[in-house]
Amino acid sequence: MQRGFVVKVQFLAPIVALAALGLAGCGQPPAAKFARDEATEELIPEARDVVDRVLVENFGTPVQLVAWEKFPIDYGKPEPNVDSNDPHAQAGWRLKEGRNLYMTHCQHCHGVTGDGKGPTSRFLNPRPRDYRQGTFKFKSTQRAMKPSRKDLLHILEQGIPGTYMPSFVLLGEEKLGLIIDYVRWLSIRGNTEIRLATELAALSATKKDRDRAVNDGKKKADVVAEIMKSVNEELPGQVEDITTAMAEAWAGAELEESVVVPKIKRTPPTKESIEKGRVFFLSLNPKKKTECAECHGKLARGDGPNTEKYWPIPNSQPERKYEVAGLHDEWGFPQSPRNLTRGIYRGGRRPIDIFRRVHEGIPGTQMAGFATVLTHEEIWDLVNYVLSVPFEGQHSAYPGEVEGEQQTENKVANARD
Amino acid sequence: MNRFWFFFFSFAGVAAVASFAVAPSMGWWFPAPGPSLSPLGAQIDDLFYMILVITGVTFIGVMIALGYILWKFGSGRGERSTFTHGSHTLEVIWSIIPAGVLLFIALYQMDVWARFRVKSMFDQQAIAHPVAEVTARQFEWRIRYPAPGKTLQDTPQFDDLYTVNDLHVPVGKPAVIRLKSEDVLHSFYLPHLRIKQDAVPGLVIPVWFQCDKVGEFPLVCAELCGWGHYKMKGQLSAQREADFAKYLEELSTSQFDDGVPIAKAEEK
Repeated sequence: MQRGFVVKVQFLAPIVALAALGLAGCGQPPAAKFARDEATEELIPEARDVVDRVLVENFGTPVQLVAWEKFPIDYGKPEPNVDSNDPHAQAGWRLKEGRNLYMTHCQHCHGVTGDGKGPTSRFLNPRPRDYRQGTFKFKSTQRAMKPSRKDLLHILEQGIPGTYMPSFVLLGEEKLGLIIDYVRWLSIRGNTEIRLATELAALSATKKDRDRAVNDGKKKADVVAEIMKSVNEELPGQVEDITTAMAEAWAGAELEESVVVPKIKRTPPTKESIEKGRVFFLSLNPKKKTECAECHGKLARGDGPNTEKYWPIPNSQPERKYEVAGLHDEWGFPQSPRNLTRGIYRGGRRPIDIFRRVHEGIPGTQMAGFATVLTHEEIWDLVNYVLSVPFEGQHSAYPGEVEGEQQTENKVANARD
Repeated sequence: MNRFWFFFFSFAGVAAVASFAVAPSMGWWFPAPGPSLSPLGAQIDDLFYMILVITGVTFIGVMIALGYILWKFGSGRGERSTFTHGSHTLEVIWSIIPAGVLLFIALYQMDVWARFRVKSMFDQQAIAHPVAEVTARQFEWRIRYPAPGKTLQDTPQFDDLYTVNDLHVPVGKPAVIRLKSEDVLHSFYLPHLRIKQDAVPGLVIPVWFQCDKVGEFPLVCAELCGWGHYKMKGQLSAQREADFAKYLEELSTSQFDDGVPIAKAEEK
């Protein structure tokens, strides 16, 4: 008897220990928080608290969202015919559901704050988008404008080939709509913070300004009081101006006239049209300064001379250069012009997508828009050339290219000259 | 305490058999009630059940024998067991019987395996006209169809149609896809059709299947492919021939969209 009991205890001890561990778990994870922007961190603590307060009052926290009616966002009106326990019976249910979906599907790359700094982001190249600048690359609206809901839906459904942004098409349009409104809201929130911090920095509310004044012999308390006096005077007006401009910008993106629509139909991709496009691509026509090949390379492999230069960092005082050769985007990350021979088009492969990329350029990047240089007909020629590049050298790949090899070899030879 | 090991091992056996018995009603069995939606899948199911019966009978027999021995000799008093080490006859028996069973399974399954994997056994019409090229990448399925009425080429063509995560195929006839991977190992898994094939970087692997039911079925990645493996989910949409043709037409229209509203285009 005694012996049997000993065996049992020896056997059960590790199981009991494991079960105890399992039951104890690892504790509650900390609640999600919106992170501060660097610009806010540079302000004196008193001014930083002001920014924090404005954000919490008007946008809340990830756990306790605040819906500011000023913005053109569908927060979700209470639905009349549902049970009072149903989440849809409460105002703001769309924003909450959008947040839940965002936290599940998007947050690990794009971050709780939408700053593109989620836990998986550091493994990725290109980096996930930081929404807070309000700059979105692939859209149908004019360059300086925000993207429309439809543009964001297109990206969520198609993903961005060539990057880690996958397609979420199977979530369905309704759920994607909730995510889109939450992302628009995050972008507005983040942009409000950055702009407000920039305005306060302009009022000398940074730590640097304070320390300089203190070094000049003033008392710290006086300096802070002086700064905070001007901050508190200016603040309401600043918040009003910033948010009004943003509300208008996002509402404006939904207007029909904001969308770039070609004046004429696409020219069929004939040999003539492709050849005309090639002339623009290589900037062989002296009247049309397109200079596509400067970045994209003569063979459209994304290896033009601009990718080998060392570029200055914008607004750096004194001027410094990037450590890595080649182009950089507005977020400061290295970025290569697209290699057009691969047939991977991040912003979409529809002719209209390429048309809009040429017409408006790509915001946040060095890709310029050519609306003032080329007519719509000429842009279609260029689009036809770009779309034909992956098929150069293939017999009769394009309807216009029946002549095939001879023609193409000449083309490549010309391009190499 | 005398019967501890008897109850302990009996519990393991009874629990295993019981979990198999309740599995179908608890939804722990094959996806979708009923047999596989593809003829080949039904044959794969038959193989599975055959092996399950063989191993099940063996398992139950072994557990009964084990229980009997533990009950009889486990009390620690009374009869003592005898060692049979070195019994030539017994060793021959327990070598030949499993070997025979294994040989039987090996020969019996060859036909189904060949239909699944040997290219010359595929439907020749289907292999000559693959439905699509499916390229797995972290973490989605990129799909390339030939233009309506054309045959899929090895390299991309200017009129190819592209889509993502939603693989449409005509219902009720063999469909071949060319499976590729853009980055790491993935696995193309259609649970309802019992089709599973690894996608290997650098290889183009033809995979065939036939879906006999119109509808949407999950397409998942069955090979741990990175941190986003769990979200690498797609969908197989089996459509009637006419609907499939219409789908490709619509895809073509949207892919070659030049953004000019129809009404405006007609004015020109």
